[in-house]
Amino acid sequence: MRIRDYINLSWDQLKRRKVVTALCAAGISIGCAAIVVAMSVGESAQVYAESQLNTFLKMDEITVSPNKGVSGGGAGNNGAAAKSSETDEVQERGKITQQKLEVIRNIPHVKAVAANQQLGYLEMNTLDERRAMVEVIATDLDSLTKFGHDFMQGAASDLAGTAVLNYGATLGLVDQETMDKLIQQLQDNPYDDSLMEQYRNMNRIPSSLYQRQVRLGSTDMNGKSFLSSPLRVSGVLKKPSGSRDDMIAYDKKVYVSIETGELLKQEIRLENGENATEPGTYNSLVVKVDDQNNVEQVEKQIKKLMLNTSTNLHQKDRLNEQFAIVRTIALGIGLFVLFIASISIVVAMTMSTYQRRRQIGIMKVLGANLKQIRNMFIIEAALLGLLGGLIGIMLSYWIVWGINGLTAGSMSDGSGESILFISPTFIPIGIAFAIMTGVLSGLYPAISASRTDALTAIKRD
Amino acid sequence: MLRVEGLSHAFKNGPETTQVLHSIDFSVKRGEMVALLGSSGSGKSTLLNLMAGLMKPTEGNIFIAEHDIVQMNENQLAEFRRKHIGFIFQAYELIANLTVRENVELPLIFQGVHPAERKQKSLKLLEQVGIPDKSELFTSQLSGGQQQRVSIARSLITEPSVIFADEPTGNLDTRTEEEIIAILKSLNKTMDTTFIIVTHELEVAEQTKRIITLRDGKLVEDHAPGAPIVPAMPPHNVAEEPVPAGGKTT
Repeated sequence: MRIRDYINLSWDQLKRRKVVTALCAAGISIGCAAIVVAMSVGESAQVYAESQLNTFLKMDEITVSPNKGVSGGGAGNNGAAAKSSETDEVQERGKITQQKLEVIRNIPHVKAVAANQQLGYLEMNTLDERRAMVEVIATDLDSLTKFGHDFMQGAASDLAGTAVLNYGATLGLVDQETMDKLIQQLQDNPYDDSLMEQYRNMNRIPSSLYQRQVRLGSTDMNGKSFLSSPLRVSGVLKKPSGSRDDMIAYDKKVYVSIETGELLKQEIRLENGENATEPGTYNSLVVKVDDQNNVEQVEKQIKKLMLNTSTNLHQKDRLNEQFAIVRTIALGIGLFVLFIASISIVVAMTMSTYQRRRQIGIMKVLGANLKQIRNMFIIEAALLGLLGGLIGIMLSYWIVWGINGLTAGSMSDGSGESILFISPTFIPIGIAFAIMTGVLSGLYPAISASRTDALTAIKRD
Repeated sequence: MLRVEGLSHAFKNGPETTQVLHSIDFSVKRGEMVALLGSSGSGKSTLLNLMAGLMKPTEGNIFIAEHDIVQMNENQLAEFRRKHIGFIFQAYELIANLTVRENVELPLIFQGVHPAERKQKSLKLLEQVGIPDKSELFTSQLSGGQQQRVSIARSLITEPSVIFADEPTGNLDTRTEEEIIAILKSLNKTMDTTFIIVTHELEVAEQTKRIITLRDGKLVEDHAPGAPIVPAMPPHNVAEEPVPAGGKTT
């Protein structure tokens, strides 16, 4: 007997018993949808959490710092001298040199390497006397795009005396007089919502700083102020996706080249403590790896260069452990629903077998053997499973759309983006589960049907 | 073509055993049209079921096309029925959710024949039984006579060695009964197929070439209509037996 004929005969039966077919398919579809949605919720939640963590914790980046050894104590003078000599040697070997930077750049899976030097929080002044506190970082400006920063305006410039601002640095720039006045009003009326709203809005007002000049200022421990030479804004970075404006407004960064950083150190007296570096060495590197999965491997290679490394990968491991539990529970719920649905198929198919005893008898008299009768019922059950699976997939898409619609407005980042998605791999898994449920549920009725005695079936009526 | 040797059959009903067939012997040649005549309870339907391999006899052998069907298991019997035996039922036994053509094709479906070949054969047979225009209708849209024609076409589709017809006119009016008998006679003549017709009606039996009469599970007469009766057992007038009107035989 041909497969096509099995399918045709089985499909005819399903079409004939529309109500029973619809009820069984509905049962399987709910089970299938439960599995697909459960797996999707687990997967989507993990992907979302990972992307959020990656945005804030940069899990595909490695921060490299010099290896300064372990500072000892408690030894005598001679011992201290010997110890000091050893420590100096360790510190010398543990420095981040240009040579090491080049070696790191050539390690497989390394996407980009940038020397990164925090110059601290400084006051940024525009020429029209507006100001804001910004974090100043000296780095290789050309590597900004390799680290996932796209430009909204302009680009990085090789010229000294230029700066790149992130989007947050262009927000909330107000003149001192206006700011003082508003703060005074807030102190007078601390519970005035409109003033608070005004204050919040002020922090979110964007300014056009592209190709404008800004100056960075600092104050030393004696209260003396220093102001840098004007820096031309050669580029402004894009607003990061998935973050709220008020969060962005507090993340103000100014990137300058390593050379400009050195100039700033001299101009506004930043050469002390952490910022002090020897010529030809760096106090920090940031390494971007092509994939989070390769971070550990790259980190091992960097450590061989006698350098310290730190990553946020442990956050991912913790996350994976937590989501493995969530996914297992979700899959268990889905399978339970599918099991309940399978009972309905066993009942419906067994009833159908009994109702069709006469028909089975006739088929046997006409030459259908045990295997053919059994296969007809199994294929009928498999078709029922397939039908339920397809409806279940559609149902799961509707459920996911519904959940996304409900959650879109209440997302923490206000982006309105859908966080729940159905991975394409879940569709065949869902359908396979549905067909498997159909076939397993149809086995008993199929065997029962094939054992129908032809003569008794025909004599019955 | 068909040979029955020493066939006996008994039904067990608890501790009691009822003997329904007693050592039946007869043979049928290829192309013969034979009527199995007998009243209700005579054992003719049991004999038919045994010959069709739907039951196993207590004793004896049945050879069809030189194959001893008594020795076959269920799957072998299904295979054998598919190739060598056709059935015509009193209540037609068509499948309601299939079209007329699909019903006729059903035995070929079990044989795995290609759909194009099936279609060609079924349409030809539907034409032979006089309902070529009904092929795409469902059986519920047909009259009783038309349904029996479909049943006849279905029985012939595999070109079987023998066709067993169980009270083929039992559910039909007199006029339709004559039409169906005429079709069976015509097919027997043109296709050289062996027909064994089980009936309790003498009028139907007289349309065949040979009448085998059963009474109380014994073969009592075996003769050609109109020819002198050759008693297989002590003479017995079958016509004197009460005949149920149009009902089933089992």
